[in-house]
Amino acid sequence: MNVVVCVKQIPDPSVPGQLEADHTLDRSAKPILDESDSFGVEMALQLVDAAGGGEVTLISLAPNGEVSGLRTALAMGAAKAVLASDDAFAGTDALGTAKVLAKCIERVGDADLVLAATESSDGYTGTVPVQVAELLGWPALTFAKKVDIADGVVTIQRQTEAGYDVVQSSLPAVVSVTAGVVEPRYPSFKGIMAAKSKPVDNVTAADLGLDGQVGWAGARQSIVKVEQAPARLAGEKFEDDGTAAEKIVAFLEDLKVI
Amino acid sequence: MRFEFSQEQFQFRDAVRDVLAKTCQPGDVREAWNNQTGRAPSAWAALHDMGVLAMLAPTEAGGLGLTELDIVLILEETGRCALPEPIVETALIAAPEGWVNGTDSASVSLPESPFGVWTDTCASVVTLTADGVRVAPRESVRLTQRESVDGARRLFAIDMGSTAPIAPVTSTALAFRRGVLGTSAQLLGLADRMIEMTVDYVKEREQFGVKIGTFQAVKHHLANARTKLEFARPLTYRAAASLASRDALASQHVSMAKVQSSDAASLAARVALQCHGAIGYTTECDLHLFMKRSWALERAWGAANWHRRMIAQSLFERL
Repeated sequence: MNVVVCVKQIPDPSVPGQLEADHTLDRSAKPILDESDSFGVEMALQLVDAAGGGEVTLISLAPNGEVSGLRTALAMGAAKAVLASDDAFAGTDALGTAKVLAKCIERVGDADLVLAATESSDGYTGTVPVQVAELLGWPALTFAKKVDIADGVVTIQRQTEAGYDVVQSSLPAVVSVTAGVVEPRYPSFKGIMAAKSKPVDNVTAADLGLDGQVGWAGARQSIVKVEQAPARLAGEKFEDDGTAAEKIVAFLEDLKVI
Repeated sequence: MRFEFSQEQFQFRDAVRDVLAKTCQPGDVREAWNNQTGRAPSAWAALHDMGVLAMLAPTEAGGLGLTELDIVLILEETGRCALPEPIVETALIAAPEGWVNGTDSASVSLPESPFGVWTDTCASVVTLTADGVRVAPRESVRLTQRESVDGARRLFAIDMGSTAPIAPVTSTALAFRRGVLGTSAQLLGLADRMIEMTVDYVKEREQFGVKIGTFQAVKHHLANARTKLEFARPLTYRAAASLASRDALASQHVSMAKVQSSDAASLAARVALQCHGAIGYTTECDLHLFMKRSWALERAWGAANWHRRMIAQSLFERL
C-alpha cells in the first residue's frame, strides 16, 4: 500500500514570528517539520508496515527549495518526497495550496491513501485536506483519531465533541488525522544518515501545469489588514458563598473539560 | 583551518534535544534523586533506540562508526538537561571498545576520578589504571556506596579483586581522554542551561518595582558567565576534533577543554545562584539539579587545576 502524506515546513514556533510587509509570514529562517504532521507520517509508516508492502511519499509546498523539515520526516522512514517550490507559489492561498498538493499527488501516481494533519500550526485554515479530496474527486474523512485499513476500505474514528463517529470509505481517500492518532517515533541516527540520499523530486508551477492559477495571481483571498490579537480578558472569579464548587463544575462542563 | 559542524551533526543534536525535552525534564531528574537507581530509564531507552549509545561503536559490531566530533554536541545536550545516566562512560568509552553491548550501560573509574557512577545498575564495570584497562561484569565486583553532592549521580567505590587487564595502557589513555571530553561537553550544556534559566528568572522577578534583569549589576554577571561559556565551547569542540583525528596534541587539547568548561560551569552556577536569590538555595527550585551536577562534574575526570598541571607538563616536555 502506498501512502502520501502532506507535510508543511513551518517557521520554528519557539521563535517569535514576523510578518512581511505584504502581511504574509516571514519564512526566511530554516523551517522545521510542523509537529502536527509528524502524526500523519507515523500513521502512514505504521499502515504501510501493517500492509506488508508499499511506501510512504511526502509532498510539501515550501519557498526557497527548503527541505530541512522534509528531511526530518524522511529520517522517520518515509521513502521519498515531492517538493513544490517556485517563486510563482508566493502568496498562494489555501485553495491554491490544495491545487498544488493535488497535482503532486497525481504526479506520485499510485497513492492508495492521502494523510494530512487537520490543520497547520502556522496557518490554521483547516480547509486544505477536504479541498485536496474535492480536487482529486476522492472521499474526505476528517479528524481521525484512529485509522484502520482492511480489504480496500478505510475505517476511522472521527473525533467529535461528545466522543467519536465511525466513518468508512473505499480507497483511495484523503484522511486528516488528529494529534492523538499515534505517538510519532524519534528519528534514528541511521534514519537521519539515510535521509540525505532519499530522492526529493523538485517541481515548479509549470511542471504541475498550474501557471497563473496559484500565487498572488491565483489567490481568491487577500490579507487586507493585520491587527494585534485582543489582550486576554481576566478570568471569572467566584466568591465562595457555599456554591463556588457547583459554579466551577458548571463552568468546566460548559467548556466540556469534564 | 576552517572548522564547522556539518548539517548532519546539527540534525543529530536537534533530534536528541527533542527527545530529551520529552524524556528528561527537571521532574525526571528530580525523580532520579528519589528512585532506587538514580537514573531516567525512558530517556536511556529513547537514546538507545535512536542509536546514540552505538554511535562510536564500529560498524562491524553493529555501531555507526562515528567519531568524537559527531557525539560532542549530543553530550552537550545531555548536560543541558542534567541527564542522570552514564552516557559518557557507555557511549563514549565502553561501547566503542566493545566493553558493553546493546542497551547495557557501563561504569568507569580511574585514579583521577576514583568512584564509579551508577555502578550498581550498570552491566559492565571498567577501571582505568596505569597498567591497562580492567573490565568485569557488575556481579563480580564489590561495591561500596559513597555520598554524592548530586543525589541522582550515585557513587560507588569499586573493588575489582584479581581481575586482570584486558586492554593495554594505550586504551587507558584514549578512554581517559574520551571521558574528559565527554564531561567537558556536559559542563558546557549545564552552564548554558543555568544561564538560560537565570535569564528567564531575572526577566520575571521584580524588586523595587522593576524586573531585576534591568539592573546593570545583574546583566554584567550574566554577560560574564555567557562570555566564559562561549570561550570554553571552541576549546571543547577542538578537543573533539583532535581526538577524532588522533592528533598528537589531543591530550593537551582535552585538558584545555576541561579547564575552561569547568571554570565556565563554576561561574555560571555561582552567578545563577546569586541572581536567583534565596529561592536558588532551596531544593524546590530546579536550579539545584543543574548546579549540583556541575559541581560534581567540575571535579570528575580531573579538576581544572589538575588539568592545568597536565597542560604545563606537556608544554615543558615540548621545550
